[in-house]
Amino acid sequence: MPIAQEFELYRPKTLDEAGEVLKAHKSKARVLAGGTDLLNWLKEGLVAPEALVDIKGIPELRELRLEGKTLSIGAAVTFAEILESELVRRKFPLLWEASRTVASGGVRSRATLVGNICSAIPSLDSGPALLVHEARARVQSGRERRMVPLASWFLGPRQTALAEGEFVTGIELDVPDHKNAGAYLKLGRYAGEDLAQVGLGVLTDAAKAWRVAFCAVGPVPARAPKIEALLAGKALTDALLRKAQSLVAEEIRPITDIRSSKEYRLHMAEVMLERGLRTAASRLAGRGPEYGVSVL
Amino acid sequence: MSHRTLGKEETRGNGAGKDAGTPRSGDGLSGGHPLPPPPPAHRYIGKSVLRTDGWEKVTGAAKFVDDIEFGPSLLHAYVVESPYAHAEIVRVDTAEAEKVPGVVKVVTGRDFTQKFGLYMKDRYIFARDRVRFVGEQVAAVIACDPKTAMRAAKLVKVEYKELPPVLDPVKALDKKSVLLHPELGEYPHVPWFFPKAGTNVAHWRKTRKGDVEKGFKEADLILEDTYTVPRYAHCAIEVHGAVGLYDAAGRLTVWTASQSPFTQRHGFAQALAPLGISHKDVRVVTPYIGGGFGGKAGVSMEIIGAALATTVQGHPVKVMWSRAQEFYNTYQRQGVVAKLKLGVRKDGTITALEHTLYWDAGAYVEYGANVVNAVGLSATGPYRVDNVKIDSVCVYTNLPPGGPYRGFGYSEFGFGLESHINRMAAELKIDPVDFRRRNAIKGGDTLCYGAHMNPCGLDEAIEKAAKEIGWGKKTKPKDPRKARGKGVVCFWKAPAMPPNASSSAFLKFNEDGSLNVLISGMDMGQGLLTICAQIAAEILSVPPAKIRVETPDTDRNPYEWQTVGSHVTWGCGNAVKKAAIDAREQIFDLVQRTLNLERDTLYLEDEKVKCRTQPDFGLAFKDFVIAGIEAEDHTFKGGPVMGRGMFMPEFTSAISDPETSQGGHPNVHYTTGAAGVEIEIDRETGKVKVLKAVLAVDLGKAINPDLCRSQVTGGLLQGLATVLYEDMRFSEKGKLLNANFSDYKIPTALDVPDEIVPILIEVAQPDGPFGARGVGEHTMIPAASMIANAVEDALGIRIKSMPITAEKIALALKKAG
Amino acid sequence: MKKHTISLKVNGVARTLEVEPSDLLNEVLRDKVGTKSVKVGCDRGDCGTCTVLLNGRAVRSCLVLAAEADGSDILTLEGISKEGGAALQKALHKRNSFQCGFCAPGMILSAHELLRKNPHPTDADIREAIAGNLCRCTGYTPIVEGIADAAKGGK
Repeated sequence: MPIAQEFELYRPKTLDEAGEVLKAHKSKARVLAGGTDLLNWLKEGLVAPEALVDIKGIPELRELRLEGKTLSIGAAVTFAEILESELVRRKFPLLWEASRTVASGGVRSRATLVGNICSAIPSLDSGPALLVHEARARVQSGRERRMVPLASWFLGPRQTALAEGEFVTGIELDVPDHKNAGAYLKLGRYAGEDLAQVGLGVLTDAAKAWRVAFCAVGPVPARAPKIEALLAGKALTDALLRKAQSLVAEEIRPITDIRSSKEYRLHMAEVMLERGLRTAASRLAGRGPEYGVSVL
Repeated sequence: MSHRTLGKEETRGNGAGKDAGTPRSGDGLSGGHPLPPPPPAHRYIGKSVLRTDGWEKVTGAAKFVDDIEFGPSLLHAYVVESPYAHAEIVRVDTAEAEKVPGVVKVVTGRDFTQKFGLYMKDRYIFARDRVRFVGEQVAAVIACDPKTAMRAAKLVKVEYKELPPVLDPVKALDKKSVLLHPELGEYPHVPWFFPKAGTNVAHWRKTRKGDVEKGFKEADLILEDTYTVPRYAHCAIEVHGAVGLYDAAGRLTVWTASQSPFTQRHGFAQALAPLGISHKDVRVVTPYIGGGFGGKAGVSMEIIGAALATTVQGHPVKVMWSRAQEFYNTYQRQGVVAKLKLGVRKDGTITALEHTLYWDAGAYVEYGANVVNAVGLSATGPYRVDNVKIDSVCVYTNLPPGGPYRGFGYSEFGFGLESHINRMAAELKIDPVDFRRRNAIKGGDTLCYGAHMNPCGLDEAIEKAAKEIGWGKKTKPKDPRKARGKGVVCFWKAPAMPPNASSSAFLKFNEDGSLNVLISGMDMGQGLLTICAQIAAEILSVPPAKIRVETPDTDRNPYEWQTVGSHVTWGCGNAVKKAAIDAREQIFDLVQRTLNLERDTLYLEDEKVKCRTQPDFGLAFKDFVIAGIEAEDHTFKGGPVMGRGMFMPEFTSAISDPETSQGGHPNVHYTTGAAGVEIEIDRETGKVKVLKAVLAVDLGKAINPDLCRSQVTGGLLQGLATVLYEDMRFSEKGKLLNANFSDYKIPTALDVPDEIVPILIEVAQPDGPFGARGVGEHTMIPAASMIANAVEDALGIRIKSMPITAEKIALALKKAG
Repeated sequence: MKKHTISLKVNGVARTLEVEPSDLLNEVLRDKVGTKSVKVGCDRGDCGTCTVLLNGRAVRSCLVLAAEADGSDILTLEGISKEGGAALQKALHKRNSFQCGFCAPGMILSAHELLRKNPHPTDADIREAIAGNLCRCTGYTPIVEGIADAAKGGK
């Protein structure tokens, strides 16, 4: 199916150039990174921009690097590149595990992590991992820059804190202070490429801090503060797990849609919480299962 | 006359039962020679030769309809669709669209007045007065490029008056229901359909055998329940497409992605008859198709390509469906609500079966009504039942048109029937496999419409499937959260065809002794081209690699009704066999008359004519099949050798008593089999893992065992997908909600059983080529019911509606506590 | 709309083409370059039949604008076939791996990418690599076996 809409395509070479074009077109411009969501929206007429700004030619946006204890992932960095990065695999295995569940290889070779948070669909697989790592989005408007914590990034389905004329140049995450382990559990209808019915990210560390975030069970991916507070400083016991599970209904707002009923989402969020917490704890203790192995 | 006798006669009459190289003695046409030794082992039949189209497909040389180049005069069409499930069309305004630069023409229902349809003419090319499903074509814009056509299509203004949509087949039967087709009584249809004018019932197949009341009285246990099956999509990876060219001289050529070139030619010629087009002026060319599964049978969107071409004479015009259109405007597998009542004696003998099926057949039933018909004749399953009452009711609904899908209704009724059997066996404390053994149909048994069952290896299939799956042996999961279960079921299916559906073949020798075989059976991946090459190879002793069989072109290739119903190995295969025999006889004639060798001593071997009495004689085909044989006077005798073969099952009849279906012989034969599965279910997530699946099918003769096994692996996965994952979802207003591969997903390479074991059983079909009968559809049929039975075996819960997703299992378990 | 002049190297041949901003890479490859092995199956990146290697990576060419690919090196099935058929194609042919063959070009390119990165894949690696290429005919097993054969050197 062709794209019937007409638009101009800009391919800036510098950040400032990109900023200028986007500012000039205001809400009528769209950033084109991997394009794996945007081109579909164009085909289906869900968006009607007068300009697309392809940012893949801007060298600094292609960078994935560690500066001090901060990992910086440029807006043009694809999931495939994240998966191939030893740095990510070693320091942020949870993000690596979540990235592995995004679509399929042929999509991951184009789709970007920044694109994922800008599309902001409720089931975005990168959401829970970025939330528990307390990542920040680097935002540029014209030639001005600001940082937005992911915690205040998602405003609703396909709605973000990005203002008119702004664009995201990258994401930053800090390497955790303590020895840590995590788990991303994705419930899909298929073992192969699928959108999440429920997604759960868990991060724990040697200090027994617990961070928990869900996706696809509410309008935006979100942390589960009550569960985190309950678990804080504690070692997992069966009783504690039951108690944590009993809090799930208070933490999520699942709906019924084409992929799952509300009831199944709630049920599975509880099942996954137990498995996710246990997996993270087991990984922290060095027992596995290996990252990338599904426990569903 | 019985089927089997006729099969034999048919064979005797034309030599189709002979193998390559066997002399003709003993066939009643020659005398004097002693009976020949037993025929030699087959050289090419029963061998897993490589696909003749394999290399084309792995190199990208294989061309599909969208790959054909038509040059700069090619136009593109885009369709304007109904947003409503049911509405009157008040006005269509094309003025704005026509003004767009690059638009050549805007076509609407005003332009085409004829109705079309395979078995019942109930639809227009473009909706004229009324739309009956969301997505129905109302108009089309033809433009110089696809983008212009799409943009202009948005400017076509259609004013509708909404009508209440009828979405439930059972409610549609209500006397007060809105009617979809008030003119139903006037629609032309085949004589074996029984539409009820003034209702939404498009066809009602009634089959009555014995006395069901009496049968239920004899039963020790009666169980009655309802099973529901939703709609499904074929999901061939290639979408439908058509390119039509009505040239300046008035000849219409249509390139289509189709299983049915001749049926399409007939359909186009009939629908476009007002233009003065006759069959000879219509040519349908079908290159390779990217999967069919029934979805590309008959005539669906292709008629748009044909019709539009006639409005822009001289220009080819292309219509390609998007994936979304592929979902909502081709054929869908119909949903069904099946009410089943079964009576069984303590020993497990079925005494009576009452099966009432309400089919959600959609807005137009021109093809789908025959699915309903087929089920009405066969919804006993492969079991001997003396007292039968089947009502298979085809109901119009405001959903996309139903139609053929691999399995043709047998998967749908099998889900309920095979589930029901397990439930009754459990109540009677009979092993469910024993229950099936006891009731399994056998060759010669009287079918529920009075004809007799063909030879079949169902007993053997049950034994082998049960053994392979380890029936009776419980295995234990490693993970305590998981449970394991097994299920074994039976299946059967007959091709559903008009009684005079026929096949034909031409076979031409080339200068080097290679062959071109012309057929119009369609290879949609199942391997027909390869097996037809093998059949010709066997008769003529020419290796399959030297035989080219190509996809159809109705101008060049001879007639084939359609490639559906798993019947072309049998029908088209018979025609090829006859064509090969015809060529062989011509060769023998020529050699006899030119070289004075006794005809009955001649045979073919290694691409040569040989003689039993003269071991040194060997005349290579390449030396005479085109050039002829040089006589002593240096004249040449003979000429190009061309074989011709036709096949029509002359023993079938669709006409029977409308109240009982007794008296006809509507089905040529049934392929039967049994299948088993072992699954492991995660009690928390509900996820089902298929540890092993086995399918034993009696295909008469596996002409190419590897290709037959491929049918099992592919078909079984397609069947498993209908039960584990897929279904079509509609909004309350009748709009399909998952018209894409994101939400109507098909299994990926990561979603397949750990192990699939195909078992090929060969109880020869007397009138089949080398004993073969069809196998394509059957491999999908048992999947749903065996999963349902295995789920019950594992968890003790019975799910009576498809699909049986992880979600459904987990929530059912939760509810059960 | 401003047209773009782009340079592509397709199967080793450099080309300069004029495209509209909205033209998709698969459309340009099919209609302007003539590499018809690039199929269209779903329009939205779900089926994998339009897979090509873009600078060595398997991508969905239906989700790439042609203008975005300016300066890229593209490999389609025609490019693999050029050298008389890669070992991979031979292995798949020997297994009768495909039925309708519509998924074959995308499947082979995904497998080609896999074998280049990982010459000795496990069964799971192969399944993962082709999980984005849908096939409705085969049940995948004969394709997985064919790819495994190729990895073992066609044995």
